[in-house]
Amino acid sequence: MRVDPYFVSNLVNSLDLTQASEQQLTAELSSGVRVNSLSQDPIASGENVLLLNQIQQDDSFTESSSLVQGQLQVADSALGSVVTQLTQAISLATGANNGTLNASDLISISNQIAGIRDEVTSLANTSYQGQYIFGGGQTSTAPFTTSTTASPAVTTYNGDNDVNYLQTPNGQSIQLNVPGNQIFQGTGSNSVFGALNSLVADFASGTHTNQAVTDLASLNTALNYVSQQRVVVDNSITRLSAASDAVTSEQTQLTTAQTNLMQADLPTISTQLSLSETQGTALEDVIAQLGSSTQSLFSKLQG
Amino acid sequence: MGTINSAFALIAQALDAEQSGLNVVANNVANANTPGYTRETPDWQASSSIEVNGQFLGDGVQETGATSVRDRVLEERLVQQQQLATASGSRLTALDTLQALFPPDSGAGASTAGDIGSDITKFFASFASLEANPTDNALRQQVLSTAATLAGDVSNAAASANQQQAALDQEASGVSSQVNALTSSIAQLNQQIQSTSPNADAGTLEDQRQQDLSQLSQLVGINQVTTENNGLSVTTTSGQLLVSEGSSFPMTTGSVGGVTHFFLGNTDVTAQLTSGGGELGGYLTARDQDIPSALASLDQLAYSVSTQVNMLNNAGTDMAGDNGNAGNIFSQPAQVAGSAAAMSVVMTNPNHIAAAGLGKGTGDNSNALALANLGNQSIVSGQSPTDYYSSFVTGLGSTVSNVQTENTAQNASVTQLQSQSDALSGVNLNDEASSMSTLERSYQAASQVFTMLNTVMASVLNLGEQATVS
Repeated sequence: MRVDPYFVSNLVNSLDLTQASEQQLTAELSSGVRVNSLSQDPIASGENVLLLNQIQQDDSFTESSSLVQGQLQVADSALGSVVTQLTQAISLATGANNGTLNASDLISISNQIAGIRDEVTSLANTSYQGQYIFGGGQTSTAPFTTSTTASPAVTTYNGDNDVNYLQTPNGQSIQLNVPGNQIFQGTGSNSVFGALNSLVADFASGTHTNQAVTDLASLNTALNYVSQQRVVVDNSITRLSAASDAVTSEQTQLTTAQTNLMQADLPTISTQLSLSETQGTALEDVIAQLGSSTQSLFSKLQG
Repeated sequence: MGTINSAFALIAQALDAEQSGLNVVANNVANANTPGYTRETPDWQASSSIEVNGQFLGDGVQETGATSVRDRVLEERLVQQQQLATASGSRLTALDTLQALFPPDSGAGASTAGDIGSDITKFFASFASLEANPTDNALRQQVLSTAATLAGDVSNAAASANQQQAALDQEASGVSSQVNALTSSIAQLNQQIQSTSPNADAGTLEDQRQQDLSQLSQLVGINQVTTENNGLSVTTTSGQLLVSEGSSFPMTTGSVGGVTHFFLGNTDVTAQLTSGGGELGGYLTARDQDIPSALASLDQLAYSVSTQVNMLNNAGTDMAGDNGNAGNIFSQPAQVAGSAAAMSVVMTNPNHIAAAGLGKGTGDNSNALALANLGNQSIVSGQSPTDYYSSFVTGLGSTVSNVQTENTAQNASVTQLQSQSDALSGVNLNDEASSMSTLERSYQAASQVFTMLNTVMASVLNLGEQATVS
């Protein structure tokens, strides 16, 4: 049977293939990446896009969450101080209502409650990174202003009812703010500023009135209401850190998955490279042997 | 009975024949490395015996020429397989360049430049960050800069794909002149073969014709039909004549709609050539199918993202107090086609990003939330932008990988057929050495017989007396 007389050139083709494979393996080894072009593993390339998307979303949520955590904590501590101030106002008013104080004492209590009202106003106007946190969507203007020209004084809300939410990568919405009017200007007897302003006016006259007793009751109700709204903020903080923890652990898992998907398995590649090299050397030897012209039968013929 | 004279004549003929045979061997050795050369074997023919006095006597040998050792079926298979292999080869080269425009990102930490997938993610994530603090200037800047990266990478990829398409167009149109040179050469050879050797193998002329056919099949897909008198007609795989025996039909090119089209006579054969095979088939497949399909996907992505983002930005309130008319972030494409190449960011002032809901205070984030959610909504052909891009890269990668596999298989098959063909038709120096040795020995034997006859003749002339004639 005849054989292909040009088998040496076929061997050279094989040598080219071996060298191409060595090149590919070296590239994987030096970059540490298994998939350097889409065609090497199309499915993994597509999956990689989705995984990286998820990881990036988690990453950006973690950043956002630490940002809003600060804001929620400032809100919580402001509301904590409001509760302290209101408790103090209630004890002052309770003292004033027990009927033993004289006119000048009552006026002094009126002034003290006015001081507390101003303190609460400034707490309600708390800002975080230059943004007022109790103004709803109106974060650039102070949400509460008090006009003392009339009696009782009038505290106006300049914000709106807007509530912001932060969405977690899993689609949960976490409330980021409570509009100031919900906290401090609840309807009817729930209004903090209404009750404070009325008490200031009640005691300013220096006389005991039944109105002061009613207004004190209102302030008590309003305090309870503020505490309820504070729970909303606290819930958000809790949910936020829970979500943040969940996202961080998800991110860790996804990163592991992504690494497994795309990273080169160094021991395997090193082994393959070494095999390729051995094969290359063997081919070179064979070519050198077969390619030498002395192998032709002509060299054996006598002249 | 034969005479001594006839024995002389017979052996002289044998010497001629052996010499002629040696000539064939020498020619084989001389052409051992000539591309397309088919080894020849000497044709031996025993001269017809003659009857003398009722006895049949042999009348020696004649060398009647040489026959090329070829297998036409094998050669035709090789030509067919070559056109498939070169088609997938040139398509693969184009696809490799194309897929390099979409490098896979290796990891979350090391972002690869030009990775549109991570650009999309980062763009929508920048809106998610804006949810946390909708009035923050740095976060707003971040939205514009990620938008610019996305638009830049998409338009770069589209521009590169367009350039590649133009380059392929040029390469393809260059092929036609090579095709014409080969077809006219085949036509000429046909004429020579038909006139010199209408009934038998034409030897080296056929070698040349086969070599031209082989080269032609690497350029375009062809079918060959053997005609009478050893002629050959060549058509494209879809049946348009390129060569009809002694005449060839030149392929012409012309620009149709900005791309090169190919004509045979007045017929536009571009579509047929595309699926026909050969280098041209590969170039045209990449030019007319692969690149346009990738560009269409990019266009769809760019169009949908630009349109949806612009629409939502115009449905909110920005920092400058615009209600429902905050303006476009991306330049608004008029139609899907060409959107990718034209994708750019037109917004310069980050305060015009409408993070707040329509009519709401600037501290509101509901529109930023809606914009961030666009990233997970089915806005591009029923898929989210990331899913769409993911399907796109998987699709492109699979195509490249398929063509790669196809090409490897076809090349292996070409190598195998080439090996088979070479085994049959290639010049094997060892074989030639052995034939030469054999012929040389026969020649020596014949000369020896000649010497013997000479001695016999001398004896006859001297009638038994020694010395007069030696």
